[in-house]
Amino acid sequence: MHERLSFFVKRDSALHPLNPLTKIVLALGIILVSIFSPWYWTSHVLLLVVIVPLVFIGKVATEYFTSALRLILPAAGFIFFMQAFFQPIGQTVIFNFWFLDITQESLLFAFRIATRITVMISAFTLFLLTTHPSELMSDLTRRGLPPQFAYVIISTLQILPQMQAKAQTIIAAQRSRGLDTESTFFKRIGSVVPLVSPLVFGSLVEVEERAIAIEARGFTSKKAKTSLYEISDRSSDKFIRWGLVIFVIISIVLKLWLS
Amino acid sequence: MKIEINDLRFIYPTGLEALQGISLIIESGEQVAIVGQNGAGKTTLVRHFNGLLQPTAGSILIGDWDTKITSVAKLASRVGYVFQNPDEQLFSKDVGTEVKFGPRNLGYSKDKTDELVKRALTLTELSDKTETNPYDLSPTWRKMVALASVISMDTPIVIFDEPTTGQDALSIARIAHVIAELRREGKTVVTITHDIDFCAENFERVIALSEGRILLDGVAANIFGQEEVLAQTFVDPPQLTRLGKKLGFKETVRNQEEFLNILRK
Repeated sequence: MHERLSFFVKRDSALHPLNPLTKIVLALGIILVSIFSPWYWTSHVLLLVVIVPLVFIGKVATEYFTSALRLILPAAGFIFFMQAFFQPIGQTVIFNFWFLDITQESLLFAFRIATRITVMISAFTLFLLTTHPSELMSDLTRRGLPPQFAYVIISTLQILPQMQAKAQTIIAAQRSRGLDTESTFFKRIGSVVPLVSPLVFGSLVEVEERAIAIEARGFTSKKAKTSLYEISDRSSDKFIRWGLVIFVIISIVLKLWLS
Repeated sequence: MKIEINDLRFIYPTGLEALQGISLIIESGEQVAIVGQNGAGKTTLVRHFNGLLQPTAGSILIGDWDTKITSVAKLASRVGYVFQNPDEQLFSKDVGTEVKFGPRNLGYSKDKTDELVKRALTLTELSDKTETNPYDLSPTWRKMVALASVISMDTPIVIFDEPTTGQDALSIARIAHVIAELRREGKTVVTITHDIDFCAENFERVIALSEGRILLDGVAANIFGQEEVLAQTFVDPPQLTRLGKKLGFKETVRNQEEFLNILRK
């Protein structure tokens, strides 16, 4: 029942077997193009013509749209309203509320920013949904990322759900000893120490044990390590990556040239 | 105090049907061991006794209290529950304070609390360690602190979840002594265990669970005799029972005493 803290959904799609680096470059590429492109419609096109089809190709549409509703709508919506109200540009007042003016220009600006945010979150959601964190980390370690860094990321993803489960057990154990966690505010404050201390002590002990366990397997050894998993990096991966780099360069050049 | 379970069903939010209709009566003062493979539903079952889990269907009565309408804090005065891992409950700076925590939560008078704490510490042989920080003790002794901190609550029902895991022979003997003492006081003891020899030496009644159902329920000697049925939930009868069977004993033996008695005849 211990889940990993990750968005990854295992599916048999054309996107999943791509090299993790390719997928991260894809996400970053989409974001950079949408930022640098001189045309306001680029973000919309990227969203509708690139991201949404990829979501379907990756067979993660249900997960994408549910997380989109939960994450993208509030974030993009918030930014849209903040920009629409507080962006002091433009003369054409469309709507007035107290001292706040909404102008046509600020509305357009807000729309562009909100779309850009949507593209950013979408691109990364797509990446996270189709890439297993361990796969990404072992691939990046193979490419020279310090293993300590990879360990910090991966262990965090693993420890949090474990700590959550541990916290549940501690709450159950203390409630069985008559600790009142449900009544008045003051009683609840009093119950913090019995709940938090075992969690903190336990976690410290666990960290030490983990350190010993991984060191016993030669974690800090300088020798080249073998990996249990073979992560594919085909020539099509390299092709996609370089293609994306070229797209980003083109959009930067266009931006500089047209402005 | 009597525990009465009527057609208890429990489904985890993940959809796992952990208990599939369990009906059971545990009489006041009975000593019951629950055995069965991992995932058979042992812990899920006993967590219903003090309201930590609420049944999806069916009901549990602790004496005259229905666990569905009684709070966990209130049920704690009737059902003591020793969790498997002492590190998930110890938080005080010394053993004495730790053991006092339960009775204080139950609102006992100071005199009664002191008396209960003293008794619990004596029973678990911790009397000379009251000032020690629980985390300075070895895991074996930490387990005893956890035991003491529940016994001190003086509940008519005591549940042990895997009390002997990771314990040495001396500590197991100490736990057996505690259980014997609780029996003498007329308390109901329910123990989950994988330690079948411990089970054979200390419990009269054994319940074997398998996949959320009761596979066997009865007197220990009868249960251990049914090797094939027990195998369904991956429980081996105690070593002496198996040895007795190999030696061609007619009766099922559970412990050294019974084994030696037959040999002497």
